[in-house]
Amino acid sequence: MFEAFAQQLALFGSAASQAFGFPQVFVTMIATVAGIVVGAIPGLTATMALALLINLTYSMQLPVAVAFLLGVYVGAVMGGCYSAIMINIPGTPSAAATALDGFILAKKGHGGQAIGVGVIASFIGTLFSIVILIFLTPFLYKIALKFGQWEYFLISVFGIMICGNLSTQSTPIKGWVVGFLGFFTAMIGLDAVYAYPRFTYGSYSLMGGISLIPALIGVFGISEILSVLQEDVPYSIESQLGRVLPSKDMVKDIVHTAVRSGLIGCGIGAVPGAGEDIAAWVSYDVGKRRSKKGHLFGKGSYEGLASAETANNACIGGAMIPLLTLAIPGSPPAAMYLAAIWLHGIKPGPMLALESPDFLYLTAITLIIATFSMLVFGLALVKPMVKILKINRKILMPIIVPLTVIGAYAGNVNTFDIAVMFVFGILGYILRKLNYPMAPLVLGIILGPTADISFRQALMQGQGSIIPLLGRPVGIVLMVAIVWILFVGIKNSRLQKDDGSISAA
Amino acid sequence: MGVLLFAFGIFLVVESLGMKVYNSFLDAPGFFPLILGIIFIVFGLVMFIGALRGGSVEAAKNTFTKAALTTLFLNPQSKRVVILSFFMVVYIFGLIGRVHFAIATFLYLFVTFFYLKSTTLVKNIIISAISALVIGAVFQYVFKIPLP
Repeated sequence: MFEAFAQQLALFGSAASQAFGFPQVFVTMIATVAGIVVGAIPGLTATMALALLINLTYSMQLPVAVAFLLGVYVGAVMGGCYSAIMINIPGTPSAAATALDGFILAKKGHGGQAIGVGVIASFIGTLFSIVILIFLTPFLYKIALKFGQWEYFLISVFGIMICGNLSTQSTPIKGWVVGFLGFFTAMIGLDAVYAYPRFTYGSYSLMGGISLIPALIGVFGISEILSVLQEDVPYSIESQLGRVLPSKDMVKDIVHTAVRSGLIGCGIGAVPGAGEDIAAWVSYDVGKRRSKKGHLFGKGSYEGLASAETANNACIGGAMIPLLTLAIPGSPPAAMYLAAIWLHGIKPGPMLALESPDFLYLTAITLIIATFSMLVFGLALVKPMVKILKINRKILMPIIVPLTVIGAYAGNVNTFDIAVMFVFGILGYILRKLNYPMAPLVLGIILGPTADISFRQALMQGQGSIIPLLGRPVGIVLMVAIVWILFVGIKNSRLQKDDGSISAA
Repeated sequence: MGVLLFAFGIFLVVESLGMKVYNSFLDAPGFFPLILGIIFIVFGLVMFIGALRGGSVEAAKNTFTKAALTTLFLNPQSKRVVILSFFMVVYIFGLIGRVHFAIATFLYLFVTFFYLKSTTLVKNIIISAISALVIGAVFQYVFKIPLP
């Protein structure tokens, strides 16, 4: 016991020396500021920023790349609260719930303090989730080591089902369809077992498969640009900012909420593909029902604002838990982080504890540095950030298009990938318009190869029969979970239809 | 959408069954796509039946009338998206690889800003030129990333 603890402590020390080295701390701080700016500007999301920036990390050492990406991630998720509060347009989808109370506070002239509370709540949420990440992940590694091919197949399907169920406001079938479309996308190219070309139709470019990064840039970059530019609605900024630092009493008031929301955010973050926006909405809803001042939620409540902001940032640490233990990202930005560390030769999953044992702590310590940077810069930059919100989106968004082109091209130095990015951008835009969520598509593309190979190998191990596989305990839990999600999803779809027909009547 | 999914599922099943079988069907390249095809057929049927019950056939009939389609395509949002996508198509498939990246980017930005009425003509030229040059230079020389 003591030996294991000492070993973990040594790994922590080794990771700390990497994370606190030069230029990592500096890079983390700069990246956090960049993330805050990106997150604050409506239309620029954390996922889009990370997708575009992955290629910049090619030439970086691993600790620097980790510092760069996690800094942007933490900063961008919090940055969304600036525009949500000051202009009632969430900078990122995860800040949508923040706008409910934040904008009302800004209209009353308390915009500065609302942002202050938002930053402090985000700080508490992220730190809370990092603590859970550090202490829970080593135990989950041990459980994940017991996973066989059958369990990997089931966890992939479970990921698609739960993500599809949670990420859509419409019927869950839409989420599932998109998830399985992601699986299909991953099937294109040479089969991993026999190198047989699937759905390539003689195209050499398709034989290499659909590269993950161009597809992600298309889905989260091009489709977002089109979605923003289709509207021609200018927005106005509340000019009264007021005091920024919240009073001690205000902070005391939100601590209880922040702890509860931190737990919710971290828990939802650990659900495959669920993401920051879902965490914020669920936490806001729970907060409204649990709080003594729940009736004030939506009318300019600091507690309501803290519920949403704590949870969306707490999602970051939570999303890292399935990512590091099972290579399943807990949120779309975490999927970008996964794609980036794959490029650097890190293979998340249960073997990570043996192959790169200090990587968990490197991620956690870098997140801690980014979180403190977020607190300091988030509070210090409130006034300049409000000016940045005035940037003309009709100039900014077209400039991102060349960045998406370079981002898609740089990975394989192949113009085919630019075409892939564009096609996925248009597909993403159409699916968004039809209310299909994007998170399951990304998860499907990532988990598709695992699901395919694991399923075939599991059946071969069972000598063509599924019966021997049905007795495995973890498999039973996952199968029950999948059936339950399917049942709940269908039930919810029916309820929605009934509601729709009642309201139509 | 249900019909489209159903047709896509059938396509996947047919394609999968046409794939080569090596040792056994269970580890054949077409096995997993076959399962996906069946899933899409089921989802397609569920959505189609749901749409029939929800009165979507009547809605679809109304959608595909000449008047409704004209309204859809003349809708300012749709028009804007089609035109912006067209600029992207010209930039990505027509200009990149044929002319220098900075020139292609300048042309794309200039035309897009002009269409969106983002700023005045002079500012448009200045912003387009500076953006094209800065993006090209930063990625090529600072980040050492090859340009298309």
